[in-house]
Amino acid sequence: MLALPLHDLPTRSASGFLIRHVVPRAEPPQLVGPLDRKALFSTLSAGDAIIGVGHGDPARFSGYRDQVLIDLSSIPDVRGKVVVLISCQTARQLGPALINAGADSYIGFLEDLVWVMDAESASTPWADKFAAPAMMPIVNCVNTILDGKVTADAFVVLTNELMRNAAVEEEDELIAACLRFNAKNASLLGNPMARVKARPKVAFPLPPPPLFPYLA
Amino acid sequence: MSKEFEDLKEALRKPATPEAMREAAQRFREYERVKRLSGKPGSKPTLVSLGFRKDYPTQIDVRDIPREMETNPAFFEQMRKIVGEE
Repeated sequence: MLALPLHDLPTRSASGFLIRHVVPRAEPPQLVGPLDRKALFSTLSAGDAIIGVGHGDPARFSGYRDQVLIDLSSIPDVRGKVVVLISCQTARQLGPALINAGADSYIGFLEDLVWVMDAESASTPWADKFAAPAMMPIVNCVNTILDGKVTADAFVVLTNELMRNAAVEEEDELIAACLRFNAKNASLLGNPMARVKARPKVAFPLPPPPLFPYLA
Repeated sequence: MSKEFEDLKEALRKPATPEAMREAAQRFREYERVKRLSGKPGSKPTLVSLGFRKDYPTQIDVRDIPREMETNPAFFEQMRKIVGEE
Protein backbone atom coordinates (compact mmCIF):
# COMPACT_ATOMS: atom_id res chain seq x y z
CA MET A 1 0.00 0.00 0.00
CA LEU A 2 1.16 3.51 -0.76
CA ALA A 3 -0.06 6.47 1.32
CA LEU A 4 0.80 9.76 -0.36
CA PRO A 5 -0.83 12.94 0.96
CA LEU A 6 -0.36 16.18 -0.96
CA HIS A 7 -1.85 18.85 1.25
CA ASP A 8 1.19 20.99 2.08
CA LEU A 9 4.71 21.63 0.80
CA PRO A 10 6.55 18.82 2.63
CA THR A 11 3.95 16.16 1.76
CA ARG A 12 3.87 17.36 -1.85
CA SER A 13 7.63 17.21 -2.09
CA ALA A 14 8.04 13.73 -0.62
CA SER A 15 4.91 12.24 -2.21
CA GLY A 16 5.83 13.85 -5.53
CA PHE A 17 9.10 11.95 -5.75
CA LEU A 18 7.31 8.69 -4.98
CA ILE A 19 4.59 9.46 -7.55
CA ARG A 20 7.30 9.91 -10.17
CA HIS A 21 9.58 7.02 -9.25
CA VAL A 22 7.62 4.43 -7.25
CA VAL A 23 3.90 4.56 -8.06
CA PRO A 24 4.27 3.13 -11.59
CA ARG A 25 5.71 -0.13 -10.24
CA ALA A 26 3.61 -0.53 -7.10
CA GLU A 27 0.26 -2.26 -7.31
CA PRO A 28 -2.90 -0.84 -5.65
CA PRO A 29 -4.03 0.28 -3.19
CA GLN A 30 -2.45 3.68 -3.72
CA LEU A 31 -3.97 6.33 -1.51
CA VAL A 32 -2.94 9.60 -3.18
CA GLY A 33 -4.00 13.09 -2.04
CA PRO A 34 -7.50 13.21 -0.50
CA LEU A 35 -7.81 9.39 -0.72
CA ASP A 36 -5.13 9.09 1.96
CA ARG A 37 -7.60 9.04 4.85
CA LYS A 38 -8.19 6.90 7.91
CA ALA A 39 -11.44 5.31 6.71
CA LEU A 40 -9.70 3.82 3.66
CA PHE A 41 -6.30 3.20 5.16
CA SER A 42 -7.54 1.08 8.05
CA THR A 43 -9.76 -1.15 5.96
CA LEU A 44 -7.13 -2.09 3.36
CA SER A 45 -4.76 -4.86 4.29
CA ALA A 46 -3.69 -6.22 0.89
CA GLY A 47 -0.06 -6.41 -0.12
CA ASP A 48 3.22 -7.14 1.57
CA ALA A 49 4.42 -3.57 2.09
CA ILE A 50 3.16 -0.30 3.55
CA ILE A 51 5.01 2.73 2.23
CA GLY A 52 3.73 5.98 3.64
CA VAL A 53 4.54 9.68 3.48
CA GLY A 54 3.01 11.83 6.20
CA HIS A 55 3.53 14.04 9.20
CA GLY A 56 4.45 12.09 12.28
CA ASP A 57 5.66 12.11 15.86
CA PRO A 58 6.94 9.34 18.11
CA ALA A 59 3.51 7.75 18.50
CA ARG A 60 1.52 8.85 15.42
CA PHE A 61 1.65 8.75 11.64
CA SER A 62 -0.80 10.90 9.70
CA GLY A 63 -2.26 11.19 6.23
CA TYR A 64 -4.19 13.73 4.21
CA ARG A 65 -4.69 16.95 6.16
CA ASP A 66 -2.98 15.33 9.14
CA GLN A 67 -5.67 12.74 9.90
CA VAL A 68 -4.01 10.20 12.16
CA LEU A 69 -3.70 6.93 10.21
CA ILE A 70 -1.68 4.90 12.72
CA ASP A 71 -1.08 5.46 16.39
CA LEU A 72 -0.06 3.29 19.27
CA SER A 73 -3.68 2.42 20.08
CA SER A 74 -4.80 1.68 16.51
CA ILE A 75 -2.26 -0.31 14.58
CA PRO A 76 -3.55 -1.92 11.38
CA ASP A 77 -2.82 -5.51 10.37
CA VAL A 78 0.89 -5.33 9.59
CA ARG A 79 1.74 -9.00 10.13
CA GLY A 80 4.51 -10.09 7.79
CA LYS A 81 4.73 -6.70 6.09
CA VAL A 82 7.64 -4.39 5.42
CA VAL A 83 6.77 -0.85 6.57
CA VAL A 84 8.53 2.33 5.45
CA LEU A 85 7.33 5.55 7.08
CA ILE A 86 8.69 8.69 5.40
CA SER A 87 7.87 10.83 8.38
CA CYS A 88 9.29 12.32 11.57
CA GLN A 89 10.27 10.52 14.77
CA THR A 90 8.14 7.39 14.27
CA ALA A 91 11.18 5.18 14.93
CA ARG A 92 11.03 6.13 18.60
CA GLN A 93 7.75 4.40 19.56
CA LEU A 94 5.57 3.63 16.55
CA GLY A 95 8.24 1.66 14.69
CA PRO A 96 8.89 -0.67 17.66
CA ALA A 97 5.11 -0.99 18.15
CA LEU A 98 4.69 -2.03 14.49
CA ILE A 99 7.37 -4.69 14.93
CA ASN A 100 5.64 -5.90 18.11
CA ALA A 101 2.40 -6.10 16.14
CA GLY A 102 4.03 -8.47 13.67
CA ALA A 103 5.56 -6.27 10.99
CA ASP A 104 8.55 -8.04 9.50
CA SER A 105 10.71 -4.96 9.14
CA TYR A 106 10.41 -1.17 9.54
CA ILE A 107 12.40 1.76 8.17
CA GLY A 108 11.82 5.28 9.50
CA PHE A 109 13.46 8.14 11.37
CA LEU A 110 14.22 8.88 15.03
CA GLU A 111 14.17 12.64 14.58
CA ASP A 112 12.51 15.07 12.20
CA LEU A 113 12.98 14.30 8.52
CA VAL A 114 14.16 17.69 7.22
CA TRP A 115 15.17 18.96 3.83
CA VAL A 116 15.27 22.06 1.64
CA MET A 117 12.78 22.14 -1.22
CA ASP A 118 11.84 24.69 -3.85
CA ALA A 119 8.33 25.99 -3.19
CA GLU A 120 8.19 27.09 -6.83
CA SER A 121 8.26 23.39 -7.82
CA ALA A 122 5.13 22.48 -5.86
CA SER A 123 3.25 21.47 -9.03
CA THR A 124 6.11 19.31 -10.34
CA PRO A 125 7.84 18.29 -7.12
CA TRP A 126 9.74 15.43 -8.80
CA ALA A 127 11.73 18.06 -10.73
CA ASP A 128 12.85 19.92 -7.61
CA LYS A 129 16.65 20.12 -7.63
CA PHE A 130 16.83 21.36 -4.04
CA ALA A 131 14.83 18.38 -2.72
CA ALA A 132 16.37 15.67 -4.91
CA PRO A 133 19.49 15.09 -2.75
CA ALA A 134 17.20 14.21 0.19
CA MET A 135 14.38 12.51 -1.67
CA MET A 136 16.20 10.36 -4.22
CA PRO A 137 17.93 8.27 -1.51
CA ILE A 138 14.47 7.57 -0.08
CA VAL A 139 13.13 6.70 -3.54
CA ASN A 140 16.09 4.41 -4.15
CA CYS A 141 15.63 2.77 -0.75
CA VAL A 142 11.97 2.03 -1.54
CA ASN A 143 12.82 0.79 -5.02
CA THR A 144 15.48 -1.50 -3.56
CA ILE A 145 12.73 -3.05 -1.43
CA LEU A 146 10.47 -3.34 -4.50
CA ASP A 147 13.35 -5.03 -6.34
CA GLY A 148 12.89 -7.86 -3.83
CA LYS A 149 16.11 -7.17 -1.94
CA VAL A 150 16.34 -7.39 1.84
CA THR A 151 15.57 -4.33 3.95
CA ALA A 152 19.16 -4.24 5.24
CA ASP A 153 20.28 -3.57 1.66
CA ALA A 154 17.61 -0.87 1.24
CA PHE A 155 18.71 0.78 4.48
CA VAL A 156 22.32 0.86 3.32
CA VAL A 157 21.18 2.50 0.07
CA LEU A 158 19.29 5.13 2.08
CA THR A 159 22.07 6.07 4.48
CA ASN A 160 24.95 5.78 2.01
CA GLU A 161 23.22 7.93 -0.61
CA LEU A 162 22.26 10.58 1.95
CA MET A 163 25.88 10.82 3.11
CA ARG A 164 27.22 10.76 -0.44
CA ASN A 165 24.86 13.58 -1.42
CA ALA A 166 25.89 15.53 1.68
CA ALA A 167 29.48 15.40 0.46
CA VAL A 168 28.42 16.54 -3.01
CA GLU A 169 26.28 19.35 -1.56
CA GLU A 170 29.09 20.69 0.63
CA GLU A 171 28.80 23.98 -1.26
CA ASP A 172 25.43 24.50 0.38
CA GLU A 173 26.04 23.70 4.00
CA LEU A 174 22.41 23.95 5.14
CA ILE A 175 21.32 21.30 2.64
CA ALA A 176 24.33 19.14 3.56
CA ALA A 177 23.56 19.46 7.28
CA CYS A 178 19.97 18.31 6.68
CA LEU A 179 21.21 15.28 4.70
CA ARG A 180 23.66 14.24 7.42
CA PHE A 181 20.98 14.76 10.08
CA ASN A 182 18.57 12.47 8.20
CA ALA A 183 21.24 9.81 7.65
CA LYS A 184 22.17 9.88 11.33
CA ASN A 185 18.56 9.44 12.40
CA ALA A 186 17.47 6.79 9.92
CA SER A 187 16.42 3.59 11.65
CA LEU A 188 15.89 -0.02 10.61
CA LEU A 189 13.96 -2.24 13.02
CA GLY A 190 12.84 -5.85 12.93
CA ASN A 191 14.23 -8.46 10.60
CA PRO A 192 16.96 -6.97 8.37
CA MET A 193 16.63 -9.98 6.06
CA ALA A 194 12.93 -9.26 5.38
CA ARG A 195 11.93 -8.85 1.77
CA VAL A 196 8.80 -8.46 -0.34
CA LYS A 197 8.05 -10.02 -3.69
CA ALA A 198 10.00 -8.37 -6.48
CA ARG A 199 8.04 -6.02 -8.72
CA PRO A 200 9.01 -5.57 -12.36
CA LYS A 201 11.31 -2.65 -13.03
CA VAL A 202 9.67 0.15 -14.99
CA ALA A 203 11.41 2.69 -17.21
CA PHE A 204 10.21 6.22 -16.66
CA PRO A 205 10.36 7.93 -20.06
CA LEU A 206 7.84 10.66 -19.25
CA PRO A 207 7.20 12.54 -16.02
CA PRO A 208 3.61 12.59 -14.77
CA PRO A 209 1.40 15.62 -15.46
CA PRO A 210 1.73 18.52 -13.02
CA LEU A 211 -0.15 18.21 -9.75
CA PHE A 212 -3.05 20.57 -9.12
CA PRO A 213 -1.67 23.95 -8.02
CA TYR A 214 -0.57 24.38 -4.44
CA LEU A 215 -2.68 26.90 -2.55
CA ALA A 216 -1.03 27.91 0.71
CA MET B 1 33.16 24.71 5.54
CA SER B 2 32.61 28.46 5.22
CA LYS B 3 33.41 30.78 8.09
CA GLU B 4 29.79 32.00 8.06
CA PHE B 5 28.45 28.47 8.59
CA GLU B 6 31.02 27.76 11.30
CA ASP B 7 29.90 30.94 13.07
CA LEU B 8 26.26 29.85 12.76
CA LYS B 9 27.06 26.45 14.25
CA GLU B 10 28.90 28.09 17.12
CA ALA B 11 25.98 30.42 17.83
CA LEU B 12 23.53 27.52 17.81
CA ARG B 13 25.51 25.67 20.47
CA LYS B 14 24.59 28.24 23.12
CA PRO B 15 21.55 27.86 25.41
CA ALA B 16 18.36 29.32 23.94
CA THR B 17 18.46 32.73 25.62
CA PRO B 18 17.02 35.77 23.79
CA GLU B 19 20.55 37.03 23.27
CA ALA B 20 21.76 33.70 21.82
CA MET B 21 18.69 33.49 19.56
CA ARG B 22 19.36 37.00 18.24
CA GLU B 23 23.00 36.15 17.63
CA ALA B 24 22.13 32.92 15.80
CA ALA B 25 19.62 34.80 13.65
CA GLN B 26 22.29 37.33 12.73
CA ARG B 27 24.74 34.55 11.89
CA PHE B 28 22.17 32.91 9.65
CA ARG B 29 21.58 36.24 7.83
CA GLU B 30 25.30 36.52 7.19
CA TYR B 31 25.48 32.92 5.97
CA GLU B 32 22.48 33.50 3.71
CA ARG B 33 23.94 36.77 2.38
CA VAL B 34 27.12 34.97 1.32
CA LYS B 35 25.48 31.79 0.03
CA ARG B 36 22.52 33.56 -1.58
CA LEU B 37 20.48 30.36 -1.50
CA SER B 38 17.27 32.36 -1.60
CA GLY B 39 18.62 34.53 -4.40
CA LYS B 40 18.76 31.81 -7.03
CA PRO B 41 16.53 33.01 -9.86
CA GLY B 42 13.11 31.41 -10.19
CA SER B 43 13.36 29.47 -6.96
CA LYS B 44 12.01 29.76 -3.44
CA PRO B 45 14.07 27.53 -1.14
CA THR B 46 12.01 26.39 1.80
CA LEU B 47 13.09 24.35 4.81
CA VAL B 48 10.49 21.64 5.42
CA SER B 49 9.93 18.72 7.74
CA LEU B 50 7.31 16.03 8.29
CA GLY B 51 6.79 16.80 11.97
CA PHE B 52 3.27 16.46 13.36
CA ARG B 53 1.70 19.45 15.17
CA LYS B 54 5.00 21.03 16.10
CA ASP B 55 5.67 24.24 18.01
CA TYR B 56 7.64 25.44 14.99
CA PRO B 57 6.72 25.70 11.31
CA THR B 58 7.14 22.58 9.18
CA GLN B 59 7.58 24.73 6.08
CA ILE B 60 9.48 27.99 6.22
CA ASP B 61 10.99 30.15 3.50
CA VAL B 62 14.77 30.17 4.00
CA ARG B 63 14.63 33.98 4.15
CA ASP B 64 12.33 33.77 7.18
CA ILE B 65 14.55 31.38 9.17
CA PRO B 66 16.39 34.17 11.06
CA ARG B 67 13.16 35.79 12.22
CA GLU B 68 11.83 32.43 13.44
CA MET B 69 15.12 31.57 15.17
CA GLU B 70 15.02 34.92 16.90
CA THR B 71 11.49 34.57 18.26
CA ASN B 72 10.76 30.85 18.63
CA PRO B 73 12.85 28.84 21.12
CA ALA B 74 11.45 25.55 19.75
CA PHE B 75 12.68 26.42 16.25
CA PHE B 76 16.05 27.52 17.66
CA GLU B 77 16.34 24.10 19.33
CA GLN B 78 15.41 22.37 16.10
CA MET B 79 18.09 24.30 14.19
CA ARG B 80 20.55 23.45 16.94
CA LYS B 81 19.83 19.75 16.42
CA ILE B 82 20.27 19.99 12.66
CA VAL B 83 23.21 22.39 12.45
CA GLY B 84 24.68 22.99 15.91
CA GLU B 85 25.11 19.39 16.99
CA GLU B 86 26.83 18.21 13.83
